[in-house]
Amino acid sequence: MMIRMILLLVVVMVMPWAPAWAEADQQTIVFGQSAALTGPARELGIGMRLGLLAAFSEVNREGGVHDYRLRLESLDDRYEPEAAIANTLALIEQHKVFALIGAVGTPTSKSAEPIATEAGVPYIAPFTGAEFLRDAKQRPNVVNVRASYYQETEEMVVRLHDDLGIDRISIFYQNDSFGQAGLNGLRRAVNRHGLNLIEEVYYTRNTEAVKIALLDLRRANAEAVVIVGAYKPAATMIRWARRLNFNPYFINISFIGSKALAKALGPDGTGVYVTQVVPFPRDTTLPIVSQYQEALKAIDAHSKPSFVSLEGYLAGRIAIEGLKLAGPAATRESFLQALIQAGDIDLGGFHLRYGVDDNQGSDRVYLTRIDRRGRFQPVDKMSAP
Amino acid sequence: MNESPSTESQDVTESNAPATQAKPLIIEEPGSERTFRVGVGSRLYFMLFGAVVLMGGATVLAYYSFNETLRHEIRLSEYSMPNLINSVDVARKSAIVVNGAFRLVSVSSKDEHTAVVEATAREIASLENIILELEARSAFGEQTRLIRSHLEELGTHLDVIKQSSARRLDIARALTVFIEELGETSRRVERLLVQAIDDQAFYLVSGLRELDDKARPINKRASEDELTAYRNLITVNQSANLAVLLLDEVLVLADRQFLTPLEERFDSAVRNFMHAYANLPDSMQDDRLEENLTRLGEIGEGPEGVLVLRQEALLRLEQEQDTLTKARTTSEALVSEVNNLVAQINEEAIQSSAAARAAAQTGILLLILLNVSGTVGAFVLGSLFVRRYLVRRLVGLASTMREMASGDLEVPVQVEGHDIVKPVKGSAHYLTRNMKYLIWNDEVTDMARALEVFRRYAYEVQRLNLVEKLAKELDAKNENLEQALENLKAAQEQVIAEQKLASLGQLTAGVAHEIKNPLNFVSNFANVSIELADEIEELMKQDENLDLEEIKSILDEMRTSLGKIKEHGNRADNIVRSMLEHSRSKEGEWRKTNLNALLKQYVDLSYHALRAEDNSFNAEMKENLDQNMEEITVVPQDICRVFLNLVTNAFQAMNEKLKKVGGDYLPELTISSRLLEDHVEFCIRDNGPGIPDEVRDKIFEPFVTTKEPGKGTGLGLSLTTDILLRHGGSIHVDTEVGNFTEMRVLLPLEPPAEAHSSTGIETE
Repeated sequence: MMIRMILLLVVVMVMPWAPAWAEADQQTIVFGQSAALTGPARELGIGMRLGLLAAFSEVNREGGVHDYRLRLESLDDRYEPEAAIANTLALIEQHKVFALIGAVGTPTSKSAEPIATEAGVPYIAPFTGAEFLRDAKQRPNVVNVRASYYQETEEMVVRLHDDLGIDRISIFYQNDSFGQAGLNGLRRAVNRHGLNLIEEVYYTRNTEAVKIALLDLRRANAEAVVIVGAYKPAATMIRWARRLNFNPYFINISFIGSKALAKALGPDGTGVYVTQVVPFPRDTTLPIVSQYQEALKAIDAHSKPSFVSLEGYLAGRIAIEGLKLAGPAATRESFLQALIQAGDIDLGGFHLRYGVDDNQGSDRVYLTRIDRRGRFQPVDKMSAP
Repeated sequence: MNESPSTESQDVTESNAPATQAKPLIIEEPGSERTFRVGVGSRLYFMLFGAVVLMGGATVLAYYSFNETLRHEIRLSEYSMPNLINSVDVARKSAIVVNGAFRLVSVSSKDEHTAVVEATAREIASLENIILELEARSAFGEQTRLIRSHLEELGTHLDVIKQSSARRLDIARALTVFIEELGETSRRVERLLVQAIDDQAFYLVSGLRELDDKARPINKRASEDELTAYRNLITVNQSANLAVLLLDEVLVLADRQFLTPLEERFDSAVRNFMHAYANLPDSMQDDRLEENLTRLGEIGEGPEGVLVLRQEALLRLEQEQDTLTKARTTSEALVSEVNNLVAQINEEAIQSSAAARAAAQTGILLLILLNVSGTVGAFVLGSLFVRRYLVRRLVGLASTMREMASGDLEVPVQVEGHDIVKPVKGSAHYLTRNMKYLIWNDEVTDMARALEVFRRYAYEVQRLNLVEKLAKELDAKNENLEQALENLKAAQEQVIAEQKLASLGQLTAGVAHEIKNPLNFVSNFANVSIELADEIEELMKQDENLDLEEIKSILDEMRTSLGKIKEHGNRADNIVRSMLEHSRSKEGEWRKTNLNALLKQYVDLSYHALRAEDNSFNAEMKENLDQNMEEITVVPQDICRVFLNLVTNAFQAMNEKLKKVGGDYLPELTISSRLLEDHVEFCIRDNGPGIPDEVRDKIFEPFVTTKEPGKGTGLGLSLTTDILLRHGGSIHVDTEVGNFTEMRVLLPLEPPAEAHSSTGIETE
């Protein structure tokens, strides 16, 4: 309790736009976020939050949506399902949030989302590609932005198979629901190409005991290793593989946390692929990306563009778009209905489309690769190193 | 009802037998100012007294019944009810105490345990108090003694359970802490072992421990030591996992018998992983791992470990169940005794309650009776004194006053008993009258009387006002009348002028006839004169034989003829002069006049005037005029109008009769005059149809006429009367229907005083 209070205090204190919504007479719409702001997944939670704040303060500077100011209430769940449940209840009942937004993680979402669904509160842009959230019939209040893990793994297989002609695909996954989601997706994807995974290895969550798994992968002579896990064990595994001169194509799923991965890998990261569900954050040819960069600069001059904060920004933008479409007297129902009926939503080159049975806006999967200097580069196709 | 009639009866007694009283109710001294009577005040006081008596009765009754009820209530509330409440309390609290034992066995937290213990202790304490109270108050000695003994026994059981369960709770809490610690410890152990096994296995395969190391050759890395180390790591992992699983099982175990085998297996597992760990090479021995492994053992087997605690807890639970069974038996006995007590006390309370209810009902019945009789009494009193003898009369008086106020003062005020005189002792119906007098003689009667007096005065005043008002109205009317009279006078003058013109017209024919006669003579003699003149002229033409004698005789004849012409010319002249004398003489001038001649002249004029109109009319004239008649001073113009009116009326009446009767009827007019002592009398009598009685009285009023419309103005006789009055004379009528009418005019010899100053009524 004490810790949460302090965290809340910190959250409030770091809100850069606090004066904007402090105007007493202005009506405010509050969005709630339960995400990891501390712990091993904190990069993800903080990044999502940064992107959301960038989008909200951008629209607030322009006068808000239908004269409403937007406000973000963020609570830390340390990537723990129990904390996510408590936070979600608090956000709905005490903070009276209009919608929940920018949750991080599959197990946390799996615990928190049913609460939101039962309360009829929109659950916008969770930072996960888990398939269960894509079930629009059971979860009409969920508004996904990003492509699903299935789509990511599908893209991986397509790229490996079509670009490189690789058939010997294996998986290295975290032994929990997240890893399981990735595993299921990948299995489906390879099966669709008439293939089977040649090896499926896992590691125990919160450990770096990855080396036996690595040995299995090496013994299976895998040409490509799809990694569905956290950046730390993934980096360990890749670095040991490099040490053993075992150099298959390493392809990470978007949840990995690209920046952290590249940092942990150092020089061993060269040629490691990561699939992304948002455009490349430095690709300013897309209007949405330049808008994102400006919005980010406006709230934090030192922050650098990242996939996570871009995803947070996109989440914020789709929430704003929904409010705009729903009109001045928006309700939760009219907000959701507006998005469903909007047809194609073009957020500056990033297209989203929702439907009655489709609660996922974007199907795009982008491929990136870490270059020799440890930086990500967008690539269209895979290629031999 | 009892009180009020007695008041009345006393009243009646007094008034019924005044004769025997030293002080009679009614002091009947004629003319005495002091009279005894029952006034309105007294009546109201009577009523109030009656009401007070009723209220007093009600109060006494209410006091009696409330007192009765209260007595039983007090018994009920001070004795039966507290007993009942206490007994019910005993039952309830006993149940709470028994229930407390059950709850203690099943409580899951220390707080709850404390709460139950405190509640139970409280209930037991208060239960003892209640029982002491019951003992002190009543004769339930046997029951309370039994209850107390059961209670003591129950208290002992409770203490046992209380202490045991408290200890069990402590154990449960400690176990909870262990469960948490066990989870954390086992996860740490697992993580460390997974990492160590991963490292060791990788080393066995790759010869690498760190990224920077050089790979060890196969003989080094796959040495017996390394393999043993790997096997020991696996053993530690397995045994540790087994130990955790066994402890999990111990924690949920319900049956104490199965604890021992689990204990043995756990002990073996702990020995296994401790032994395997001890055999690990120093490089793999990790402080954190050792610490956690040791802790795992302690959690299970320590002196205050899971196994020991679980053993004690299960044992205590069994003992508590036993005690609980005993407590239940005791509590059943307790409840049974308490139920007995409750039943007894309840019975007692029911009796008290019934007695109280009976008393209350009696009271209510009495009050209802009193209320009914009071209502009836109030109604009788109200009806008798207030409505009948007061209100109704006051209403009547008020209504009379209203009528008076609205101006109706003629109806006398109804004064009841106004005719009731003070009764005299010994007189007939003395008692009845006395009663009546009593009843009616009060202020209302006074008011009525006073009002009647007032009404009379007011009536008088009203009448006087009315007279004054009438006088005023009369004045106004007089003024109107004067105005009307003046208008009338003006009209009259107009009428008179017209009348004059009319009479002139009437006379014209008569005058013409008078003049025609002499003119005929004049004409005839003139013709004779002309013939004579022609004869003379004839004679003169015979120059030779001029006969002067002849001429002279003719001239004599001619002179005679001319003399006749002159005579008749003078006669006509006289007639005209006579007419002019009347009409031209100075208006309204009093002159000495030969009234006989005047009368005769106007008879002729009138006759000829009528004949000129209707030449079939003939009448015989008779005269009986007093030749000694003196000339009288009159206004000849007026008097001639009188004569003309009377004569013309006579002729017209006779002409009418002639027209009607015809035949043998011969109209006959008789005029006569007489000189009396100081009067002259002229009579004009006709043998016409006479005047019927109904008309006779009105003939002198203006505008009354018997003639056909247009023939008369109806003013003739009226003017005649006026004229005669002015001359100090009078007119009288004597008539007989079908035979005659005689008009008698009386004039004084001496004209009235005004004759010299007044100019008469006629003015031009």
